[in-house]
Amino acid sequence: MRKRLHEDTAAVVIGLAAVLLALAVTWQSRPTEESGSRVRWSKGWPTPLAASVGMPASWASAPLDAFRDASGRLAPAPVLLGMAWVTLVGAAGTLLVGGRLRGFLPGAVLIVTLACLAYVLAGQKLVKYYNLEYPLWAFAVGLFVTNAVGAPGWLRPALLGEFFTKTGLVVFGAEVLVSRLLALGLPGLLTSWIVTPIVLVTTYLAGVHWLKIPSRPLCMTLSADMSVCGVSAAIATGAACRAKREEISLAIGLSLFFTVIMMVAMPPVIGWLDLDPIVSGAWIGGAIDSTGAVVAAGETLGKEQGDVAFTVKMIQNSMIGLIAFAVAVYWAGWVDRSATGPRGTLLGECWARFPKFILGFLALSLACSWLDSLGPEPALWVKGATDGFTKHLRGWLFCTAFVCMGLQTDFHELAPVLLSGRPVVLYLVGQSLNLALTLAMASLTFGWLFRKAVAP
Amino acid sequence: MSRGGSPRRAALRLLTGAAFTVVIWCGVLPRVLVWPPVARHVALMEDRRVDPAAMYYTELERLPQRPDWIERRLVLWP
Repeated sequence: MRKRLHEDTAAVVIGLAAVLLALAVTWQSRPTEESGSRVRWSKGWPTPLAASVGMPASWASAPLDAFRDASGRLAPAPVLLGMAWVTLVGAAGTLLVGGRLRGFLPGAVLIVTLACLAYVLAGQKLVKYYNLEYPLWAFAVGLFVTNAVGAPGWLRPALLGEFFTKTGLVVFGAEVLVSRLLALGLPGLLTSWIVTPIVLVTTYLAGVHWLKIPSRPLCMTLSADMSVCGVSAAIATGAACRAKREEISLAIGLSLFFTVIMMVAMPPVIGWLDLDPIVSGAWIGGAIDSTGAVVAAGETLGKEQGDVAFTVKMIQNSMIGLIAFAVAVYWAGWVDRSATGPRGTLLGECWARFPKFILGFLALSLACSWLDSLGPEPALWVKGATDGFTKHLRGWLFCTAFVCMGLQTDFHELAPVLLSGRPVVLYLVGQSLNLALTLAMASLTFGWLFRKAVAP
Repeated sequence: MSRGGSPRRAALRLLTGAAFTVVIWCGVLPRVLVWPPVARHVALMEDRRVDPAAMYYTELERLPQRPDWIERRLVLWP
């Protein structure tokens, strides 16, 4: 009889294998000249794997343009290879957890095709430049198919949404560099490390105790999504507190909706308030959920604001691993424990319930952060492997995961919470607190406390 | 998981949804894209190589750097 692995363990094994493969191939093809030059290798060392995983490009009016290369030729091969990588990961996961490949493959073809369709929808320029990210469309595509025609039985073995999310998160760990936390010194640390946890905890408690939202995972996912960095934080913390797929999707939908509004509204408001460029950049970076939208809003105001906004957001991005770990510990040790009643030592129960894939995510984050801190060559090595391969693979895995979530979603379960309007109220309350606290802290640290008296 | 109704009705729903998507994405959105305020925003983003749909900072096409001037204006480590 075949030995089966737990889904979390399989995700860690496959995620680690993918990152190690990327690092090994990138190392094998490392440049012989100026290998430590950050100017020459601004995107990291080139990796041959980059050609094996592409995503549909952006397009304006002809969807076929999504499959053209830089020279304008129709070149769908990299995209097809990206789809093949996801199928390979899914197949490996199916085998490791003891499933049958024959059952998985037919459904996998349809699911990765839907993921590709979601990427094409998200690549339309209007959609892309107004921050409507691919998870939204992946979820919508899955939801539409299941509601229009129903998901056939043969699709079921390929619906590995949780496995794709977990593997994607482990792979994602390689991009979460803790060393980025220090990029803006003490003012950056204060803005991120004081405001973000306060908003996260306050919003969560407000959701649970004040608004009495019945689902604690929904409150946590929504709070992390809004206070840390949008979709990526929702995926990481949602997985850490075992939120239902509907809850993660709801949190992401709310976040994207309000992010679009904030991305468009904040620059004119800042212009009207006539704020200092550094303070306004820090405010945008700390308050807007999504990373891309932060840069977009900052750059709308000017280069200074864009750079500061990006750096503050990058610091918040780097907190994902630690926050996901803290949420997983809290959930395993306290929330789940009090729900079922204590049956052993706190540490033992915490370990038994702890989502083990978070350890893979954290281990890769710490290992790649350590490599990144060793000097320019190891840093460019990690950057080449992640920029050239793992970030695309992670994108495909998340996109496919959201298609699966859409295909499996039963909104009837969430309808009472949705119709109550409480998640929207929670988001608005939390975001208002976030806006006020971030502005106060940015003004205090960037505008006054750490400001040099005379700027040359 | 399958919805009720005949296969014919299911196919009709699928076709209607697909047609709706094609009309929105290939007809409506490209027209909105040329509306001056939207076109200005898109042009600015393209010009500065900003991807507002980036989920994480590593997805940005051009990584803005920590500004060099920041240390002249701020005390980073007192």
